[in-house]
Amino acid sequence: MKNLRKRFIQEDIKLDEISPPTPSHGGTTHLSDQDEGDLDFFKVRIMYLSSVLIIFFVLVIARLWYLQIQNGEYFDSLAYNNRVRSQEILAPRGNIFDRNNQEVVTNRPSFNVVWMRKNKKIDNSFLEIMAKILHVKVEDLLVRIRKNAHSPLHVPIILAEDIDWKTLAYVENKKPELPGIRIEVVPLRTYHFGDLASHLIGYLGQINEKELKKRKEEGYRPGDLIGKSGLEKLEQTTLRGEKGTSYSEVNAKGYEQRSLQDTEALPGNDIQLTIDMELQKIAENAMNAANKAGAVVVVEVNTGRLLTLASTPGLPLTKFVGGIPNAVWKSILDNPYKPLRNKIVQEHYPPGSTYKLITSLAGLAEGMITPDTIIFCPGHYKLGNRTYGCWKKSGHGPVNLNKAIAESCDVYFYSLGQRLGVDKLAEYASLFGLGHKTGIEMEHEQSGLVPSTSWKRRRYNEKWHEGETLSVAIGQGANNTTPLQICMMTSVVANGGTLYQPKVIEEIRDPDGKPIKKFTPQIKNKIVGQAKNLQQIRKGMISAVNDKHGTGKIVKFEKMIVAGKTGTAQVVRLKQYRHLHEDDIPYKYRDHAWFVCFAPAINPEIAVTVLVEHGLHGGSGAGPIARLVLEQYFAERLKEVDTMSFVSLPDFSEETLVNPQNNKIKVN
Amino acid sequence: MFRFDRRLITNFDWVMLLILIFISAMAMVNLYSSTWRGGPVGSPIFYKQLYMYLVGFALILVIVSFDYSELELFGYIFYVLIILTLAYTTFFVDTVAGTQRWIKLGFFNLQPSEPAKLILVIVLAAHYSNDKVSLQKGYGLLDLLKPALLTMVPFILIFKQPDLGTALMLIILLVSMTLLLKLRKSAIISILATTIPIAFIGWNFLLKAYQKRRILTFLNPEGDKANHGYQIMQSKIAVGSGQSFGKGFLEGTQGHLQFLPERHTDFAFSVWGEEWGFTGCLIFLGCYFFMLAWGILTAITARDKFGMMMAFGLVMLIFWQAVINLFMIMGLLPVVGIPLPLFSYGGSSLLTTIISIGILISIRMRGFPDQSLHHS
Repeated sequence: MKNLRKRFIQEDIKLDEISPPTPSHGGTTHLSDQDEGDLDFFKVRIMYLSSVLIIFFVLVIARLWYLQIQNGEYFDSLAYNNRVRSQEILAPRGNIFDRNNQEVVTNRPSFNVVWMRKNKKIDNSFLEIMAKILHVKVEDLLVRIRKNAHSPLHVPIILAEDIDWKTLAYVENKKPELPGIRIEVVPLRTYHFGDLASHLIGYLGQINEKELKKRKEEGYRPGDLIGKSGLEKLEQTTLRGEKGTSYSEVNAKGYEQRSLQDTEALPGNDIQLTIDMELQKIAENAMNAANKAGAVVVVEVNTGRLLTLASTPGLPLTKFVGGIPNAVWKSILDNPYKPLRNKIVQEHYPPGSTYKLITSLAGLAEGMITPDTIIFCPGHYKLGNRTYGCWKKSGHGPVNLNKAIAESCDVYFYSLGQRLGVDKLAEYASLFGLGHKTGIEMEHEQSGLVPSTSWKRRRYNEKWHEGETLSVAIGQGANNTTPLQICMMTSVVANGGTLYQPKVIEEIRDPDGKPIKKFTPQIKNKIVGQAKNLQQIRKGMISAVNDKHGTGKIVKFEKMIVAGKTGTAQVVRLKQYRHLHEDDIPYKYRDHAWFVCFAPAINPEIAVTVLVEHGLHGGSGAGPIARLVLEQYFAERLKEVDTMSFVSLPDFSEETLVNPQNNKIKVN
Repeated sequence: MFRFDRRLITNFDWVMLLILIFISAMAMVNLYSSTWRGGPVGSPIFYKQLYMYLVGFALILVIVSFDYSELELFGYIFYVLIILTLAYTTFFVDTVAGTQRWIKLGFFNLQPSEPAKLILVIVLAAHYSNDKVSLQKGYGLLDLLKPALLTMVPFILIFKQPDLGTALMLIILLVSMTLLLKLRKSAIISILATTIPIAFIGWNFLLKAYQKRRILTFLNPEGDKANHGYQIMQSKIAVGSGQSFGKGFLEGTQGHLQFLPERHTDFAFSVWGEEWGFTGCLIFLGCYFFMLAWGILTAITARDKFGMMMAFGLVMLIFWQAVINLFMIMGLLPVVGIPLPLFSYGGSSLLTTIISIGILISIRMRGFPDQSLHHS
């Protein structure tokens, strides 16, 4: 840099002198007489060579003269009269089917009425005719026209979107009398199950600048529709297809004269879901009918296929088509039930008593208890100078594991939890997949939270208090889980220890129906050597549904054994609300209700998880939804008369002899 | 870092700056129209290019405050850097739209083949002005070996990208600058005797029809898809239908009805021709010619051989690209991806051209006093 400046200063000195550069002026060029001779030689050379500049500019101007002046009129007539215009043909987006190949989302053609003006004057009588045909007010048409007032004449103005068949037929018929009026066909999404599974499917919207930038190289253009949420977004590339081009002869005003050959658009790939839309319908409609906000998840316990993924209230998918009206969007934002949140994976809640399944396994596997260990429940539990209550104030009396699960005795699990410690609990919770994202095909999944001493140190820089362990052992406190995680946890109990990767895509097919990608079960984790212990827990869950005092009796069937567990997630512990009658507690302070179950209890097929936000009690708030789902799924079998094998209660007598010391947990 | 010197202003080449502003203004008017999609505002592309222009003008201020003779050394450093960048892009970056490769810099996608042309001019000028070949003897074949090598390395890298249009520009620049020198007769004869027959025989006998076609396709891979003739025909119609006075700003039908391909990049001038007619074209070409002629004047009045060589090379760099682009638009050349400097959309090309003009201004400012500029 220093050197540069030196030269710069020297240079300036030079500029002040009148004489040509002297040898002292620095730089690498040493000038002598001979060099000056050189410079003269090059000056002449440059002047000679510069003649190419003149020659070529003359040539360019001559050519321009030839094109614009001599043949200008000819080219102008070409430009005016015909000309092949290439226009993009939108590719039909891929369809979405459910597991039974019922159409869930497909495309339909929608018809817009567009108008090409001849001049910028507005002919009132013409507008009145159009308003009458389109059943709108003249003012509305004027608004649309004014919006495009700056556009040149050849830019068509859309007068009406998505007109019905009657209007379409009328316009087509009258076209000769309506100068400049044209029908434009645009494929739009159509939802055969209305707004069902809206969070899973997602909606489309016009591509924004950010997305355009990101996907610049994939051939997107402003105005294109693109998936904005759900599978439509995640599988955008799969569903999108390839645009085609249509060549047509139009005149310079943009009027189409004749269409030429096209390169056809390639439809996108189809997606077959693992979702059973009939089951989804039952679950989602039941939630909506009871005005319940929450989530319903149904999974095949031996594969990880998701049969139902409902989050209520849903999004009004049908209203997003062709742009959502502002009023509707505002009402979605203002809705206290938060329809925009996908409660299956984006919200997390304390798991409540459903967590006791994990505490149980930890206790059995670590040898803290056997199924026959008795703990006495007086209705409360003392730790230091604090008293922790059981939900049943009068107490459960002597409790073994089976009864503890069946009646959800808090004291039993306080005692067990205290002995295990929070870090052991965290270790087992993690084996069931809690605290980790499941990796399902949904956006913004939460990982939830499994509290531990190290977590508290990291997060708050505080020591763990033993009292907190008691809360964690019954699924309250800092515990946080998504409904999907709880459903997967239940399926691990049901299938004897395997944590599958939950998936929603059964198959991706090209437009000819050839499969491109197929579902295969994928094991995320296996709890080894705990088959007998899990059996004990299942037994407890069977009792919870089938015993006299069980908390989950709502899903008791005459012809089928179901295993289940209720849960209540505390929202606030404020004393001021605790003494109130339930109905008097403000909605947002009410507890969340959980219900998890699987069926049949022997050789389970599906696990069902229902979460009702602020639903108060698992059994009464969430249980009825689970029952409806089971009734739908097993409808055929429940109708059959001879279903004894399906129904019979298992004999657990041998399993009670298991020695838990021998069962160590291994993680794959 | 440096003291501001009043003489920077008194000696500044205002003529070149003014003509540059004229041409830029026309280019922006045209870009507004060619990317316009209705409504009273310009497209994002328009604002991006406007921003690039501002960056470019700021760069000119930086460039003129240094003596161009620094480039004799720095040119070689830039050369090594650009060769490394080209090698990186050629071998590690995927192509975009078939031919060009960009390096994503976050705020800006750099197309390294653009600055490569400019740097080659600098390096060739540096070499020729220092190679100690006497004018009496003239250049022999061996003396031309090093400049040929300097050209071939980036040529091969760009050719591999594959961007034959830009690669050929390098050869054209080498030839243009070498023509400044006094060549020995033997050298001229042996060059002509080898290249012309090879090209002629190669094209006519060694290549079969389908191979020639493939080369033409290679020149413009996109063109083949949508039919070569179609693009050129549409461009000719656009320019021709402009007639004497054009159709008016934003009223060009060829452009706005999407007949014209690449209408804001390579075919930008078609839009100009259509909307402003023969009159507008004459005004534009007049300005452009004046700019180049002023560049030639700069070369002639340069204080040393390096400045002279470089100024001439820079003028040739802009000139040949412009001519090839204009010929292509008017159907006199096949479609090759060469932009019209300053006029076609594209940050790399624009900045390269503006830097070239900045160097020209710097040479002009430090050139021989011509007439009354210096009287202390």
